[in-house]
Amino acid sequence: MTDSLIRLEKVTKDYPKVSTSGDRLRTLAALLFRSREMPHFRALEDIDLEVVRGQSVGIIGENGAGKSTLLKVVAGVVRPTSGEVRVNGRVGALLELGSGFHPEYTGRENIQLSSALMGLTRREARDKVDTIVQFADIGEHIDEPVKHYSSGMAVRLGFAVATAMEPEVLITDEVLAVGDESFQKKCIAWIERYLAQGGTLLLCSHSMFHIQTLCSRALWIHHGRVRQAGSAFDVTREYLTYHEEKSGREQAQARAAFGDGPRIAEAWTERDGGERATTFRRGEALVLKGLAVEPDDRPPVLLFGVVRADGTRVYGSHSNERGFQPPRMEPTRFGFAVRFEALALLPGKYTMRVHALDAEGLRLHDTLEMDFVVTGETRDYGVVELPHEWRHP
Amino acid sequence: MAHVAAPHAGPARWAWLLLSFTRREILTRYAGSVSGLAWTLLHPLAQLAIFAWVFSAVFRVAVPAGYPGASYVAFVAVALWPWIMFSEALTRAMGSVGANAGLIKKVAFPHSLVVYAAVLAACTIHLAGFVAVMLALRFSGEPIRLSGIPLAFLLLVPYMLLATGLGAFLAALQTLLRDVEHVVQVVIMIVFYASPILYPASLLPAAMQGWVKVNPLAWYSERMREILLQGSGLVAGDAVMALGCIAVFFAGLWVFNRLSPSFEDFL
Repeated sequence: MTDSLIRLEKVTKDYPKVSTSGDRLRTLAALLFRSREMPHFRALEDIDLEVVRGQSVGIIGENGAGKSTLLKVVAGVVRPTSGEVRVNGRVGALLELGSGFHPEYTGRENIQLSSALMGLTRREARDKVDTIVQFADIGEHIDEPVKHYSSGMAVRLGFAVATAMEPEVLITDEVLAVGDESFQKKCIAWIERYLAQGGTLLLCSHSMFHIQTLCSRALWIHHGRVRQAGSAFDVTREYLTYHEEKSGREQAQARAAFGDGPRIAEAWTERDGGERATTFRRGEALVLKGLAVEPDDRPPVLLFGVVRADGTRVYGSHSNERGFQPPRMEPTRFGFAVRFEALALLPGKYTMRVHALDAEGLRLHDTLEMDFVVTGETRDYGVVELPHEWRHP
Repeated sequence: MAHVAAPHAGPARWAWLLLSFTRREILTRYAGSVSGLAWTLLHPLAQLAIFAWVFSAVFRVAVPAGYPGASYVAFVAVALWPWIMFSEALTRAMGSVGANAGLIKKVAFPHSLVVYAAVLAACTIHLAGFVAVMLALRFSGEPIRLSGIPLAFLLLVPYMLLATGLGAFLAALQTLLRDVEHVVQVVIMIVFYASPILYPASLLPAAMQGWVKVNPLAWYSERMREILLQGSGLVAGDAVMALGCIAVFFAGLWVFNRLSPSFEDFL
């Protein structure tokens, strides 16, 4: 028997539509007399979800897809209109900013209130205060009213409180996006340790990077329904592909031409053997090929760069750096190919950029971008795999 | 439909939470004001002073014969404090769901706790004021029977349950309908003047004497005077009125609990 901590069956949530006072009265009557006849819109429909102990599940989807409502259902704040919700175990929920803080109260007083809300006894709460204050690390602000906090500070405190309760299930709604870099790292480190110790996580995020690094499974909510559920890598890849298709082919092949210098006429990625592809397995070979046009018939300098989907620059290099001169295929047209033996990139979404510079390698004239995806599963962190081995000292 | 949120959610947990809410309710009301809790006593005292001056110096209302030795101030004070306690408990309870919207939208807990906390906070503050005023009046020579205070407190229990029930009902309604608050403010004012708080019930026209018997505000105002100024004991009517109040309490809570799962949808 599996140790199921969260189980949702056919969960549907309707929110009443209350734009007019007539709607409000009708809704009131419907609620009091338990009839289903009320004006509503459907936020969630037939959601099935099971999370067993030790699992980490990411919830992804567009804005307004129903992710937050789903987390609220699991946290027990929202009761579903129909369907079954079972949650076993202590839930620590961090729903949006300043979750459940009283603005007039100081940080310290809010810690006590939150402890009470999360079900700690007074003594347990007293013992926790120092840990929380230390983790939040907001200095003297801890004794100021929360209404004077910046959103980052509120999130720091919120995260510190939610985690100090040692929840069996941690629910967080897009909170990692708010804190500053160092606090984000601290949170991620905390979550990683928590997961390593067998904690269970339900994380809602727009950062596919966070989902991929922290979650083993993912659920894609689309217009209130489950569009895809499965391994975090598969679901996030599909999700990104969907967005790519949505924003159109033109953008995927976005280009900006500067003046009438050299241009990249075309470029693509392919596998060994010449099959064009945008999806590569980790460790596979990737070949970047293309054709540049130089009106003055002088071989241009080429530059490629690999960028991760979140904008992190991974690597880039000039053709003249390696002494490569693109061969002249026909007048004014120069071909090029770059082969990446055993792709060291970790799974994720990347963009390959190719730039054409003038023959002196001084001025950038043209840029062509194409996205590609690296698949595979890994517990490694970061962007690329650095060759290494573990040894006896 | 089932929701098993926290298996350890026992009464003890909620008791402490209720206590924190109540403490918070008392403190936030005056958090930021310089003289703090002193206002809780000053405000009713000012009301008392105004009523005493208007009714005894301007309208020259005489203290009825049944209260030998009592001044108009003592006559009004004995009924005014329970009224203030009631009306404040009611309005605070009514606004409690809205005031705690931030919590209700983000954290799972029994929503009725905020209603209880509002009532408990109002009771704590005004009971203290009530006792202080009774003592002060006694020392200034008014015929307050301090031995009646425990019995007065006992009668205040169903009275406050009534405030809780009505408050819970109105809080739920207010959350869904929004304009309840404004109606209630007006109704409270009408009921205040229609009840024998500033004047004795005997001054009411004969047609309204029946009203005194069924209106809990009138009933408890008169009873407070009888107990604290005349030394009356418990009467059968107290039990009937208490049962009525308890019935209202449960009815109000029933409506509240029926609607409370949907609060989040409206806040």
